[in-house]
Amino acid sequence: MIKIQNLKKSFRTEEVETLALNDVNLNVASGEFVAIMGPSGCGKSTLLNIIGMLDNPTEGSYKFSDHEVGGLKERQRTELRKGNLGFVFQSFNLIDELTVYENVELPLIYLKMNKSERKQKVMAVLERMKIAHREKHFPQQLSGGQQQRVAISRAVVTNPKLILADEPTGNLDSKNGIEVMNLLTELNQEGTTIVMVTHSDRDSHYAHRIVNLFDGQIVTESQNRAMEARV
Amino acid sequence: MYKNYLKIAWRNLKKQPFFTFLNVFGLAIGMTGAILISLFVHDELSFDKMFADSDRIYRIDTDIKFGGAEMESAQAAAPMANALQNDFAQVKNTVRFRTKGSMLLRKSETNDNSKELQTTFVDSTFFDMFGIQLLSGDRKTALTQPNTLVLTKTAAEKHFGIKNAIGQNLLLNNTDTYTITGVIDDLPTNSFLKDYSVFMAMAGHVASRENNWGGNNFYTFIKLIPSANADDIKIPLASMLEKYMLPWAQKYFPGMTGESFAAAGNSIRYHTMPLTDIHLYSARESEMSSNSSMQNVYILSFIGLFLIILACVNFMNLSTAHSLKRAKEVGVRKTLGSNKTELIQQFLIESGLIALISLLLAVALSITVLPLFNELSGRAISLPFTNPIFWLILFVATIILGLFSGSYPAFFMSRLMPVKTLKGGSHTSVGGGNIRNALVVFQFAISVFLIVSTLVVFQQLKFIQSKDLGFTKDQVLLINDTYAAGKQVKAFKEEVGRLGQVQSSTFSSFLPVPSSRSSSSFFEEGAIEQDKAIQMGTWYVDEDYIPTLSMKLIAGRNFDKQHLTDSTAVIINESTLKRLGVNPEAALGMRISEEIEIEKSKFFTVIGVVKNFHFESLRENINALGLFLDKSTGTLAIKLKAGDFKQTISSIESIWTKLAPGQPFSYRFMDDAFNTSYDAEQRLGRIFMVFTILSIFIACLGLFGLAAFNAQKRTKEIGIRKVLGASISQITYRLTTDFLKMVGLGILISLPLGWYTMNKWLEDFSYRIEISWWILALAAFLAIAVAILTVSYQSIKAAITNPVKSLKTE
Ligand SMILES: Nc1ncnc2c1ncn2[C@@H]1O[C@H](COP(=O)(O)OP(=O)(O)O)[C@@H](O)[C@H]1O
Ligand SMILES: [Mg+2]
Repeated sequence: MIKIQNLKKSFRTEEVETLALNDVNLNVASGEFVAIMGPSGCGKSTLLNIIGMLDNPTEGSYKFSDHEVGGLKERQRTELRKGNLGFVFQSFNLIDELTVYENVELPLIYLKMNKSERKQKVMAVLERMKIAHREKHFPQQLSGGQQQRVAISRAVVTNPKLILADEPTGNLDSKNGIEVMNLLTELNQEGTTIVMVTHSDRDSHYAHRIVNLFDGQIVTESQNRAMEARV
Repeated sequence: MYKNYLKIAWRNLKKQPFFTFLNVFGLAIGMTGAILISLFVHDELSFDKMFADSDRIYRIDTDIKFGGAEMESAQAAAPMANALQNDFAQVKNTVRFRTKGSMLLRKSETNDNSKELQTTFVDSTFFDMFGIQLLSGDRKTALTQPNTLVLTKTAAEKHFGIKNAIGQNLLLNNTDTYTITGVIDDLPTNSFLKDYSVFMAMAGHVASRENNWGGNNFYTFIKLIPSANADDIKIPLASMLEKYMLPWAQKYFPGMTGESFAAAGNSIRYHTMPLTDIHLYSARESEMSSNSSMQNVYILSFIGLFLIILACVNFMNLSTAHSLKRAKEVGVRKTLGSNKTELIQQFLIESGLIALISLLLAVALSITVLPLFNELSGRAISLPFTNPIFWLILFVATIILGLFSGSYPAFFMSRLMPVKTLKGGSHTSVGGGNIRNALVVFQFAISVFLIVSTLVVFQQLKFIQSKDLGFTKDQVLLINDTYAAGKQVKAFKEEVGRLGQVQSSTFSSFLPVPSSRSSSSFFEEGAIEQDKAIQMGTWYVDEDYIPTLSMKLIAGRNFDKQHLTDSTAVIINESTLKRLGVNPEAALGMRISEEIEIEKSKFFTVIGVVKNFHFESLRENINALGLFLDKSTGTLAIKLKAGDFKQTISSIESIWTKLAPGQPFSYRFMDDAFNTSYDAEQRLGRIFMVFTILSIFIACLGLFGLAAFNAQKRTKEIGIRKVLGASISQITYRLTTDFLKMVGLGILISLPLGWYTMNKWLEDFSYRIEISWWILALAAFLAIAVAILTVSYQSIKAAITNPVKSLKTE
């Protein structure tokens, strides 16, 4: 599903040029659950953003389901992303002015789905994430764990092929963290590919494969034995 | 303590250059407008107050209803002044003016004339009445003898020095010799005498001594004794009718009584008009100088107030919006123990500082644009730099303004809860959004109102300019003061007529643009009862008049050189026809006369009826008018063929210099002269336009700042939406329409208001436009277009930002 070859990404600020990703090669197969780990500032988020088509690579090739993404214009990337990808962030990134229901509904609106279909889908996913009773609440009125459940609902409501999660448990206590990881695992078992950035060893154990980044380069890749044993 | 506040305030402003710039600039523009308008209004209100005892000086006005004509005159009969002075102890002093318009002046031994635009005969009491000092000459004797005159400094210096002018002779209009007996300073630009430069002794004016209560040709001013007021003179004034006017009239209408006079629908009323009210409250026929109106003062004051309010609103809007960014600072300060009062002080000092910086900029701006403003308003206003009161007012007003504008943001901020702001979470909890929105609505309501007003004023002006006036004013060149050519006038017209570019030309001092006027009562033959009188304009023209000005005859014929009897012929207009009560064909051959006594009568035979043409401003209806064939050589009106006017004018000028050496050559185009009748409207239109642009500009500054703030506040939201698949156009649309809703609401409020107000304004015109829907639509469209332009820049900028970046800022 994801084929990355010799990918480089550099940022230009006024004086310095930072090479955030240096010659990254990575393949992710459909249905995989991959964890990206590494110290802060090593380029994890940058890599995830490129995979999520929020950003363009400076050099190299990135193929998503055999589409070359590298040189696409912003509008084309948006089109390709819509409905195919879901995002989960550390800081949830819910819109404060919208209710839980409206937050989850948003991606469907951009897919131009009609209202009744939207309602049915949103309610289904909220039920599933056990947050339906809070549909009229605003994000500020929810706990961190609940907010992240809403964020995951929003990420999966379009039935995406790929979910990208950037430290999804970073702002949660361990109980809520485990709950979120179980949800992601469930989704993975239903066939959704997941790429997740994490700091936490505990979370990395949920993945099939761990990719270690250091200073913009992949240093080690390991199959997760423990995980396989558990499954 | 305060020094510390100031230091922090200054740093805060420097840290936010964009925000500070928007705030200072918007406020400075508003202040500039307010300063200019205040100076203008102050000037308007100061008229004639510099004269000695100005509060005790009154002008005698006369309202006449006679012979079907109504007139509100600023003048009185010649003997009125003396009668008042002799009969009533309350009247301390009187003076009369008999204006003569423009005149040519030259030293007897030379040929070079200078033209003085406003000249007048005046009684020798002039100096005492108004407390005017002579620069040279004797105050007691100047203007006591016939054929003496007093000049203003500027007029005198055209021919002599001030000192040696006394005793010199001047030739007026190349005919009458006058001796200079005094020189006075130029008269103040804010007085009714501002344009007058030549004052001739009334002693030499024969009509001024006649006991004629029938003609009202003398501007009559009285000064009351200190213990009297205007009410004391009301009854004495009313008694003048019985005492003098009726006895005089009975000589001509034997048996006429006050009752029969009134029964025929006639009336004469005398009023007092305070000298210091003339400029703003008097709009009578033939005022001594062009007056303004209190309505304009009100309109301008409102606009000035609007501008300042708009600027304050901006300030509040930007400050509260901006203060959200400082929510964290406030939170930190509060947790560190800063109390509410201290916070309020800090914010107020900041806004005071902004207001003061704006004031400096506003003063600089005012100095820069004052010359332009003077041109626009027709004034010679200057900033009263040396007047400490001016600075005091400015300073105090600025501080009040700063505190007022700063108060809302200050209290708003100081109420913020530290816990919430430190959490840095929801922006909605900070609130104030509704008030900000209401302020934007308010700003656009004012702007759209001003746009509607401007459009209507200009539409009306355009309507006036393109209206069928009954004559053609285009391509007509007017050569002024042609009488100065003396015996050569005929030759001048003939030679001009031979130029290839000239279609035809006509001599007359009477034109349907501001020029000479005269009128008289006429009687139909066999109907000389005073209630049958027809008050009719008497214009003296030549036989080329009607064709040159492309007027239309609806019956009869034009004057003809071949008909010797045409010297006793008259061509009447449709309004006169209506007074005669006959149809056009029947009017031909009717005879009318000016005299009441049959034996003396000289009859004029109606030979033609000319289609009504507008000879006064379109504010007025068309009155009865008769054209008479007579020599009147004030102006040569020349109808030109299309082509190079410059070339033709210089050919005409060389003919003039050849035939009238030393006489000034001056010309104007008839359409320009026509437009001067609408100076007040045009000025109003231009002033409206300038301040409309200013107010829109200020509103846009505010909107721009608010849009910037809004985009910033919503950075995260926009980022999330983009991640979820929103396109750039969707985001831009969303951000822009939020603002357009407010603008739309502003428009909805202001359109009916503008429509109503401008309809009121149009009621002053006898011939006026109706406000059509498209004017309102255009105003709305302009406001929306400007708002979209202002907001979309920020919206697009926000929309194209990479969401990765905006989400990172969290
Ligand atoms: N928009 C940007 N502009 C400049 N430098 C950036 C930008 N985004 C990331 N970087 C730099 O790239 C490197 C990798 O960043 P990131 O991928 O966010 O690291 P992390 O592994 O902690 O997620 C860092 O050195 C960071 O400073
Ligand atoms: Mg990161």
